[in-house]
Amino acid sequence: MAQRWRLLLVTFSVAVLLTVGALARPQIEPVSVLMPAPFADATTELVSAFNRSHPRIALSVTRGPLETEAVSDLAISSLLLGESPYDLLLMDVSWTPKYAAAGWLEPLDRWLGPDALGDLAPGAELGNAFSGQLWRFPLVADMGLLYWRTDLMAAPPRTPAELVAISRRLQREGRVPWGYVWQGKQYEGLSCVVLEVLRGFGGHWLVKNQPQLDSPAAVAAASWLQDLVRQGITPEAVANMGEPEALQLFQAGDAAFMRNWPYAWAELNKPDSPLRGKVAFTTMVSEEGEPHAATQGSWGFSMLAGSQHKAAAVEVLRFLTSAEAQKQLNLRWGYTPTRLSVFEDPELRAANPVLTDLQQALAAAVLRPLSPVYAQLSDLLYRDVNTVITGDESAPTAMRALQSNSERLLRSSGGQG
Amino acid sequence: MRWRLWLLMAPALALLLAIFAAPLLHYLWLSTQAQSVLTGLQPQPIRAQQWLRLWNDGRFWQDTWQTLRFSAASVSLEMLFGLAVALLLNQPLRGRGLLRTISLLPWALPTTVMALGWRWIFNDPYGPISRLLAGLELPAIPFLSNPALTWMATVGADTWKTTPFVALLLLAGLQTIPADLYEAAALEGATPWKTLRRITLPLLTPYLLIALLFRLAQALGVFDLIQVLTGGGPAGSTESLALYAYLNAMRFLDFGYSATLLLGSFAILLILCGAGALIWRWSLRWQGSLR
Amino acid sequence: MARLMLLLWSLGPMLWQLYSSLRSSEALSGLGAGGWTFENYRQLLQGDPPFLTYLINSVVVGASSTALTLALAVPCAYALSRLGRRQARALTALVAAAAAFPAVLLFLALLELARDWHLANQLLALSLPYAGLCLPLAILLLQAAFADIPIELEEAALIEGMGLWQRLRWILLPLMAPAMASSALLVFLFSWNEYPIALTWLSRTELLTLAPAMARIAGSSVYTIPYGAFAAATVLGSAPLILLMLLFQRQIISGLTQGAIKG
Repeated sequence: MAQRWRLLLVTFSVAVLLTVGALARPQIEPVSVLMPAPFADATTELVSAFNRSHPRIALSVTRGPLETEAVSDLAISSLLLGESPYDLLLMDVSWTPKYAAAGWLEPLDRWLGPDALGDLAPGAELGNAFSGQLWRFPLVADMGLLYWRTDLMAAPPRTPAELVAISRRLQREGRVPWGYVWQGKQYEGLSCVVLEVLRGFGGHWLVKNQPQLDSPAAVAAASWLQDLVRQGITPEAVANMGEPEALQLFQAGDAAFMRNWPYAWAELNKPDSPLRGKVAFTTMVSEEGEPHAATQGSWGFSMLAGSQHKAAAVEVLRFLTSAEAQKQLNLRWGYTPTRLSVFEDPELRAANPVLTDLQQALAAAVLRPLSPVYAQLSDLLYRDVNTVITGDESAPTAMRALQSNSERLLRSSGGQG
Repeated sequence: MRWRLWLLMAPALALLLAIFAAPLLHYLWLSTQAQSVLTGLQPQPIRAQQWLRLWNDGRFWQDTWQTLRFSAASVSLEMLFGLAVALLLNQPLRGRGLLRTISLLPWALPTTVMALGWRWIFNDPYGPISRLLAGLELPAIPFLSNPALTWMATVGADTWKTTPFVALLLLAGLQTIPADLYEAAALEGATPWKTLRRITLPLLTPYLLIALLFRLAQALGVFDLIQVLTGGGPAGSTESLALYAYLNAMRFLDFGYSATLLLGSFAILLILCGAGALIWRWSLRWQGSLR
Repeated sequence: MARLMLLLWSLGPMLWQLYSSLRSSEALSGLGAGGWTFENYRQLLQGDPPFLTYLINSVVVGASSTALTLALAVPCAYALSRLGRRQARALTALVAAAAAFPAVLLFLALLELARDWHLANQLLALSLPYAGLCLPLAILLLQAAFADIPIELEEAALIEGMGLWQRLRWILLPLMAPAMASSALLVFLFSWNEYPIALTWLSRTELLTLAPAMARIAGSSVYTIPYGAFAAATVLGSAPLILLMLLFQRQIISGLTQGAIKG
């Protein structure tokens, strides 16, 4: 009889101990991040390193589609229904206002502290904070660059007129068939190109939520692009060119200048590239007294307001955007960092001497309008400017139409009045 | 007893109203509102601004043209091929039943499933068509990256899927034509072409028109195929009205404008199919007056 | 000869998918020879979530939609067939118009419905819009079948003292069985193939039905090759429907022709 009681007591104690032990063991917090496929691949090692060093957090990366917009569509489809399986999103700079305005993002101010953006290189801090709150922390940066052939000229042009003059001379001398190639297709890339030229002529896209696209500067900018094609400095095919097409033409040695992103630098300096060592880059040309603009593109992490694991997500964010992580991304994958400390890292500078130039270009960064309806505004712009480039419309008419369409867009989506 | 019949119909009619009528009325109201990410996804009345915007929206008119072009090409081909297939299947051949079923298989498959398949088939340079062209030493055709060609690829994929449906419909119609009419024509020495023109087509007209109207309405709302096969590209050259409306809601978060676009598409549908139906009524009356 | 062309035309694309799904990625890109493999299928079936999940989800939605549609359509079609000619004609015309209506135009209102009434991410809730969208065709089909039943049969049953329910159960429904089977199959087919509503109502990967799942797989393609895995998905996604078609060909065909013609 007594034995049975003792057995029962032992069993009971063991059960209690096990339960207490199980409860006391720290719960593993899952954190889920959505990234476009290329970034998911690039950060695989970082993710494993994080999981190893943070046993209480299980970080998993969802590899989104390759196409940028498709990633956003995926995130929105669940957010619209009021729930989302993600804690962090890797966001393009042009989406952030839309997500923030929809109330889907968690302000990062109180998680990252008041000086969160302190270590960022000038230009990289753009597009992360607006309406008085911090919504995103940048991971990698991109900026529009003017590539020029060092073997064909001594110094790059700094004004539109100089660019035209140099191109004409080189074309006349038969050194290159074309002067300047850029992206003129009806897509977001054209908006980036236009923004740089617009700023270079002293114009602005959106000021205090009012479009300024029929200003003399804007018309001058559009006219200049049209003239490039009309005068034969830029091929007519530019109206269908994206980044790959422009790079292809430039790399074949058929143009003196190209506008493209930093990735092209790596391509142009590959061992089998005919232009290896013959190319340099600088910022876009501009009129006297106007800024040399580089359209900024950047990807950064935002936290979703509906996340159940905010503290853990912040740790992930800190880790993935840390100086060490950004250094890895640059060394292994060629991504441009955003932290000043990473730009000034001697090891990186030695491996990538062009980093200094990139940093300068980043400092000249300009942002596409931080509007929640940016996508539609951009859609209107690149459609209209494309008709100017193809010569189907005159610049003043097109820009006037663009201005009224933009105003109407803002009005009818509730942006004004 | 009448009221009991209506009672039986009530639940179904209620659901039908809820699914078809209510949304359209809702769109009518929503198109006078601004409801977008800028209004916190709450509606704000703005009267006719959305419609003004629609009227001036280049992308809307471009998509209308593209949708009409797609529908016209697709429906014409389907009617043509469908008639050919129906005539073939109408003949007493061996294995007719199995052939009929097999020819219906394309229609039964989900569009999105086969759209993946089409992406591969049209792929340049690895898809079978490109390989065939390369093997025959013909120049490659960039089906999915050349704006002038991609819409044709979508028409091809759509025709493949919906021809069987039209064929089936027309086949049923063909089978109502009494055989002795054909016998009489054969006795008079009529050629097959004449038989087709004088006997088959006139008697088949009601079925042709049903198929036409049905397919036209469906084609004007094309969405699944475009979204998965081309995503509206390249450079928006295959974007349909339905896809544009969808993007406005799900990507741009502009519900007010999306509703306006949907109503605009519905209006176009109504005009075209309404015109078609009126022509049909008129033709029936004309046929009737001939008798 | 013409028959051969028809066969090739109908089966060609699908057979090519079958072929591609069994080839390795090197073989598909022409880089290497040989390479028959089941790897693509293995990838799919062991994926996260396994491909089978989507098929099961589609079955659930299909079954519930079919049940709901029939439950609503049978009484309605009966009543419509017994209604006077003039009234029935107007209603039938409207129903026929609804049958041709492209469902995608309704997605926005249905999306708001899902948000406001918390119907999102619930497989069974999908049967509501699906039933609504399939009702027109089902009603047309069943109404034609009901009209074919001679009224004398019902009158005889009435004389024998059978109430409405009894008439339905013992006389009408058995005679309606083939038409009901056809309708059921068509509704099932529709819910398997439906895309825009499922796309907007379902966001959780493990709940997706087949059509949006395939689209998501298509969108995630990082590479243009290998298409092997996608081809395998195409084959697996089509197989159940092909099976259904082959088993029930007569019902499906008769359903389509009846419904469309009499409507």
